[in-house]
Amino acid sequence: MTNAAMRRAQLEALVEAQGGCRATPPLLLPADPYFDLAGEEFGRRLLLTSDLTGAEHCLRPEFTLPIVRDYIADGTRQPAAFTYLGPIFRQRETGPVEFDQAGIELLAQPDGEVALDQVFTFARAALSIYGLPARVRLGGVGLFEALLVQADMPAAWRPRIRHRFGHTEAMERLLARLEAAPDAPRQEQPSRDVLIEDVTARMVSSGLSLSEGRTPEEIADRYLEQQALDAAHVPAKTLKLLRDYLAISGDVLSALRQIEALADSHKLILGAPIRAIRRHLDKLGEARVDFDAGFSPRLDYYTGIVFEMTGRNGDVLASGGQYDRLLERLGATAPIAASGCALWVDRLEAEISA
Amino acid sequence: MTGITLAVPSKGRLEELTREWFAARGLTISRPGGARSYLGVMEGEPDVTVRFFPASEIARELIRGNIDIGVTGRDLIHETSETGPDSVHFARSLEFGHADVVIAVPEAWIDVTHLHDLADVASDFRSRHKRWLRIATKYITITRQHFARAGIAEYRIVESLGATEAAPASGVADIVVDITSTGSTLAANGLRVLDDGIMLKSEANLIVSRTADWPDEKKRKLNSLLAQLAADPL
Repeated sequence: MTNAAMRRAQLEALVEAQGGCRATPPLLLPADPYFDLAGEEFGRRLLLTSDLTGAEHCLRPEFTLPIVRDYIADGTRQPAAFTYLGPIFRQRETGPVEFDQAGIELLAQPDGEVALDQVFTFARAALSIYGLPARVRLGGVGLFEALLVQADMPAAWRPRIRHRFGHTEAMERLLARLEAAPDAPRQEQPSRDVLIEDVTARMVSSGLSLSEGRTPEEIADRYLEQQALDAAHVPAKTLKLLRDYLAISGDVLSALRQIEALADSHKLILGAPIRAIRRHLDKLGEARVDFDAGFSPRLDYYTGIVFEMTGRNGDVLASGGQYDRLLERLGATAPIAASGCALWVDRLEAEISA
Repeated sequence: MTGITLAVPSKGRLEELTREWFAARGLTISRPGGARSYLGVMEGEPDVTVRFFPASEIARELIRGNIDIGVTGRDLIHETSETGPDSVHFARSLEFGHADVVIAVPEAWIDVTHLHDLADVASDFRSRHKRWLRIATKYITITRQHFARAGIAEYRIVESLGATEAAPASGVADIVVDITSTGSTLAANGLRVLDDGIMLKSEANLIVSRTADWPDEKKRKLNSLLAQLAADPL
């Protein structure tokens, strides 16, 4: 047995040892749920094909979505654990289109924090099979959301800022725009009724349906909201808080101390999400752990804590976290806690030969 | 093989303008087999083989390295492949075929003037309308790249191979990404280009394939041809 085959067998054993159900979703999956969940940005990575009816399918691009969909379809709300190891297919700039991914999904566990600890332990054990030290990058989705709720600003700006969390350039553009907002006196706005009438007339004259897409009411309301927002400044102090916060990155203990200091000076109560991060550090043991305040996957179903484990050249070897909003997005009728991670098996092996 | 393959558009105004452009620089392209032949010659340049191709195929074959140099629109290089621009060398603009790839929204969307407005609308479109914001376009690659950079992920592309500007009125899509030189077709269909809605400024370019084989002798010939055309050497 070669060393590579031995490591593979050990990984296989680790996946089996999690006490979960080994999931083997089909290789060919309907493509629509992926577009529905993750939009075109993920969609362009899919390998698509269509059948005689024109329905689009894709080669399995990851495991989480089919696993979670099956779980929801079963209708059980019982705690469940799933593991997987097998090929996935994605369009990539470099590297083969087909490669293996392993991972774990913990659903509806009684304690979401204990579940996340199990995910950390699983990822670290996988890295240790390959003799790799874990370098962990943590992100705090829950922490940022807690800060945003308390930060002083007109409420309508919060979803706009939240939406850009995790996309450094988009966030930078928004903050720069808010900082540069002119202090112009407000102009008299037309009434909502007049606006609706005007928008309706424009839509009718260009042949747009008044009900199939955006409605005249929706457009008029957002127009007025936008005008109000342009006048409703986010205080300079809050913009500075956001910038200072998002710039925090580095060793987790010192990063959390900086955040505590920032919270103190702005009278924010962030104790609970900070404690939640601290509690997990034990499970990360000797690993070098960084906290990056601006780090988050660009998918809005992530919650709580997210993480990546990286290799020597910064390649992501494992990524995951808590995604309590995912099951609802996929049709569950109530919130269901979820956490998990995926391992890039080919990259783990490549770290050794590098 | 040290001969150089030059691909030029095979029909229409683009073919005419391309041949005129070369002729103005002392290089006459002729089509000995007539307008239905796809093989041409460049007079006085026996090392250059001229092939007539549809413009989009020129882009694809340049990226693959099957032809050495060609004339086609910058937009087609960007659209054909995400790695397209890196696979070629834009030697010079031919100063015709100007057109912009733009984002246009219904003129009635008075609240949407910039890309950041579109980001807001897209982000809660799904919860309001039980479906994603739909964008009609034939520029799938360019749209995906541009929207990813803008931080907009919540949309679906509806592929449109013609009359894209009619898609919002026919209910196929909410907004469009289309190519326009004056914007008048968009305006006539009740669409307005966003203030920061120009995604790509395109025009006909003389383009060299980086993925083709370039032995020294052949590269020397290419660069002397490019010099004669006042184009940047490879």
